[in-house]
Order: sequence, then C-alpha cells, then structure tokens
Amino acid sequence: MKELQKFGYPIFFAVMAVLPHLLDDRWQAVAITFLIFAVVALSQDIILGKCGMFNMGQALFFGMGAYTTAILNNEFGWSIIATIPLAILIPAIIGALLAGPIVHLRGDYLLVVTIGFNIVFVQVLQNNLGGVTGGPNGIFGLDSLSFLGFDLTSQVAVYYFAFIVLLLTLWLMRNLANSKTGRAMHYLREDQLAAESIGINTRIYKIFAFSIGAGIAGLAGTVFATQYSAVSPEAFEFIQSVLFFSIVLIGGSSFPGVLLGVFVMFVLPEIFREFATWRYLIFGFAMIAAMILRPRGIVPATFGKIPKFLIKGGSHVE
Amino acid sequence: MSNNQLILTDVTKRFGGLTAVDALSFNVESGQIYGIIGPNGAGKTTVFNCITGIYKSEEGSINWRGEEIRGMTPYQIVDRGIVRTFQTIRLFSQMSVAENIMSGRHIRSSQKLWHGVFHTSASKRDELENWHKVEEQLDFFNLGEFAATPVGSLPYGIQRRVEMARAMAVDPTLLILDEPAAGLNDKETLGLLETIFRIRDKEVTVLLIEHDMDMVMEVTDYLTVINFGKKIAEGTPAEIQKDPAVIEAYLGSEDDDDE
Ligand SMILES: Nc1ncnc2c1ncn2[C@@H]1O[C@H](COP(=O)(O)OP(=O)(O)OP(=O)(O)O)[C@@H](O)[C@H]1O
Ligand SMILES: [Mg+2]
Repeated sequence: MKELQKFGYPIFFAVMAVLPHLLDDRWQAVAITFLIFAVVALSQDIILGKCGMFNMGQALFFGMGAYTTAILNNEFGWSIIATIPLAILIPAIIGALLAGPIVHLRGDYLLVVTIGFNIVFVQVLQNNLGGVTGGPNGIFGLDSLSFLGFDLTSQVAVYYFAFIVLLLTLWLMRNLANSKTGRAMHYLREDQLAAESIGINTRIYKIFAFSIGAGIAGLAGTVFATQYSAVSPEAFEFIQSVLFFSIVLIGGSSFPGVLLGVFVMFVLPEIFREFATWRYLIFGFAMIAAMILRPRGIVPATFGKIPKFLIKGGSHVE
Repeated sequence: MSNNQLILTDVTKRFGGLTAVDALSFNVESGQIYGIIGPNGAGKTTVFNCITGIYKSEEGSINWRGEEIRGMTPYQIVDRGIVRTFQTIRLFSQMSVAENIMSGRHIRSSQKLWHGVFHTSASKRDELENWHKVEEQLDFFNLGEFAATPVGSLPYGIQRRVEMARAMAVDPTLLILDEPAAGLNDKETLGLLETIFRIRDKEVTVLLIEHDMDMVMEVTDYLTVINFGKKIAEGTPAEIQKDPAVIEAYLGSEDDDDE
C-alpha cells in the first residue's frame, strides 16, 4: 500500500495530465467520462464508504448540479464557470435538507428512502416542473467553456476541467481524512453508540457528509453538462445510483478502489465493445464475489493517518 | 453544589413489565472511587446507561454538579465531563489504537465542521495538539508500541486498556467503568488496580461496576449493593462485607452466576 502511494500516485497523475494528447476524440470522451464518474463515485464514498450510510440516490445530486448549470446557462445566460458555485451549493443544501429527517434510519430503510428521492427527482425533471427542465428531452445547446474571455471549445479543455475537479475532490478528501470531522465519520460508521458515548453528535456529521457528498456530485454534474452541452433525465436515473453505490462497495472505500471500480464499470465496456452488454451481468457477479471474498471491498479503507511521532517501532502494521 | 457530585434520586427504569432499576438513590462524592455491585441482572449496567444518556429513566433525577442531566443525549453528558467504558468492549475495531484514543479528543478539539474541508493554521495546530494529548494517554496506559495497530487485532486485555485510554483522553471529571476487570487475568487485574489509583490521583472521580469481590473491596472507598434494581445496602467495603443482606443476596448466589 505504501509503495503504491509513493510511486503509484505520481505516475497516475502524470499519465492523467498528458493523457488527452495521446488519445483520439473518441477516447478523450471516454477519459472525460472516467474522470466525471470517478468524482461522483468519490462523493458517494464520503456518504457510503466513510460514514456507512446506505445512500442509493447519488445520481440525484449529480443531476441536480448538471441541471443547475444547464438551466442557469440556457435560461439566464450565465457562463458555465459562473454556474459552478450554485451547482455546488444547491445540491449541498438540498442534500442537507433531505438528509435531516432520514439519517437516523437504519441502513435498509435509508436505502429505500433515497431510492424514492431519486425516482421523484427524475419524475420532476420529466414532467418539466416549472417549465425549466425541458421535460423528457432535457436541455441542449449549452454554451461551451469560456474563461476570462477565452473560448475553450475543444474537448481537451473539458478534459482538463474534469481533471481539475478530480484533483480538487481528492484534495478535499485528504483534508477530510486528517480532520476531526472526517474521523468522526469513521467513528460513527464503526460503532455509532460508542461514538456518541465518547461525545460525538453523530447526526450532525451524517448530515454534513450528505451535504458535501452532494456538493461534490453537483460539481461533477457541471462537468457532465459541459461535456455533452446537454442534460436529460435518463442520465440521472436510479440505476446510475446503483452503479455508484456498487462501485464503492466493490472497490472499497479508498481512492484506488473507487478508481478501479469506475474503470471496470465505465472504461472496460468501451475497450471491449462486446463486453458492454455483459457488464451488468459481470458486475453483478463481481458484487456477489466481492461481498463474499472481500466484504470490505477490493482495496479496503485505510482510515486516517496517524502522525509519525506516535509510531515507535513495536508491532506496527500497515 | 458545584463540587463534582453525582446525585441519583429515585431513578427508575422499566423495560416493558420489568423494572430493571427501581427507585435507586445514591451519591458519588468528588474524588471517590465508588463501586456498584450486585448479582447478574441486578440492573447495574442499566443504571450506567441511564447516567450516560443511553437510556432515559422514566422517573427520578440524575443531578451532576447541580445540573439535571436526565434526558440529555450521550454526547451532551460527555460534554459535561462524564465518560464511560462498556461491559462488552466497544472500540472502533478497524482503526488504530491512536485513532481510537483520538476519538476521546473529539469534544476537546476546537475544529469546526468546515475544517474537514479546508484546513487553517489554527485547525492544523489544534490537530497536532490533540495528537500530542493522544501520546500522553499512550504513555499513561503504556500502549505506545501499539499506536498504529488496528485495535481489533489486539488481545482482550490490551483492548480494555485502549478503551480506558480513549475515555481518559476526554479529560473527564467522572469516569464510569463497567466491569473493567471482566476477562482479565490476575496480572492484568493488578495492573488495572494500579491504573485506577493513578487515575484517581489525577483527581478524576471513578464510578465502577465490578463482579470480582476481592477487587471491589480493595479498590473502592464506598459502595452500593443492588439486587433486582433496588439498593439493598451501602457503605464502606468493610461494612458491606459484614452486611447480612449482602451476604444473603450477593455472596450467597456467587456460585451460580459465574460468567
Ligand atoms: N435493552 C433492554 N431491554 C430489555 N431488558 C433489558 C434491557 N437491558 C437490560 N435489560 C434487563 O434489565 C435487567 C438488568 O440488566 P443489566 O444489564 O442492567 O444487569 P447487570 O446488573 O449489569 O448484570 P450483569 O452483571 O450481567 O452485567 C436484566 O433483567 C436485563 O435482562
Ligand atoms: Mg452489566
């Protein structure tokens, strides 16, 4: 694990940084999808992996960010970049509001409620509520990226936009792991009663996890809307949430685990076209196998780091 | 009133038809090592659960430093300086010993929610200070060599120590221990006795449940004996040993409640 972190990450980031220049159009699009879905899966990891809350509605927040960007751009003429703050804030606030009444629910009940939220959301989009969502067809013809007066129309620009969002997400998750807030999430996931008995108001941290998870997914939504210059309801169906959920569960609550899951689920089907129709079947079997053989995921969570000065020889394991 | 006194008055806790704690009253004075003993199922753990906010007693009053704490949530009670350990160890088993102890620093840390997203120099300083507090507990409980070890993989006796270290990391005023010697061998029990005395030396009041009679007699200043949720005696260890009601109810039944 240590080795992987030392060499694996720099290599990974270096490859990702030059990748679009090595790929043709079609593969660039695949790479962008990989980045976007990696961000959504990581946001799901905060809720499901770190906090252990069975949220089966992450596509809702993803979609909310995408639609926020699309509506602000299409209806109000905001530039894509200018929509970012609201595309984060609106899902984050709605996430907190939705989470408030439900976070005390046990895993299976929470799962059903969040599925319900997701279904309601898609219905609202399809029925063109308020006349701004564009109904079943969605919204199309969004502007391309522009920043400080530069038009960034190329796909490569979208790629780097997505890459920056991924880096930002990773930075945020690292901050979380080394903070009181992030540890509180781990504690309550491991043993809620023990966490409360040591002084943690678990409810606050659960709602907060939902909120930042939703905010990050919302930002990924902006990138998604930018990539296709369009949004439509079917991209945010409940089945998408199932995918994000399973990616975290199978991959494990860790960066490599989540990336592996996204890769298998969204990139492999592109490489092996014939695999595409089989992917749900294979993923289904992977889920079964992973839960039996590696119940904590292929690359399990390693939890927060402890400072070096506390490690004094002895039986320290990593 | 403000000296750290815990006063239970007529505390009653029912589970359906069963009255697990029945109009129980006792006072724990500042600086004491106070024992609660009684046969299996007497209601000892339930009393602790009422004090620490895991259950809310139906009746009675639980007064801590002049404030009514009955009905408060567990974290509100921790915030007032009362911390507990569990009869069946409850640690964050996949996390390291140091991280487990760090959980005790949660309410003492000055970090805000949003510091989970953005660090500031103040939050970094706070983080480091609290890790140093963890180091103090690692030293106090002689757990330094296990700092990075996942706690679930450690032997039972060490896990018990980690659980106490986690509680002590809160800097409690009142430490509540539910059968701290359960499952320990003789050597570990001796170590525990010594630790409890060292904790008292830090001016922490200790309230403990214990099955091991010899240990209770040795360690406590004062005790209450309960049976079927009711108090049947209280006094110093010497007084309790002579009390006929205690011998009848508790010592007499010792043979058939071996755990
Ligand atoms: N959550 C609960 N629901 C129903 N009954 C309970 C509950 N918790 C405890 N009881 C009952 O209350 C009584 C007192 O239990 P308690 O655990 O307080 O006993 P104890 O004195 O700690 O016993 P031990 O020495 O075995 O730990 C028992 O009869 C127990 O079955
Ligand atoms: Mg008990």
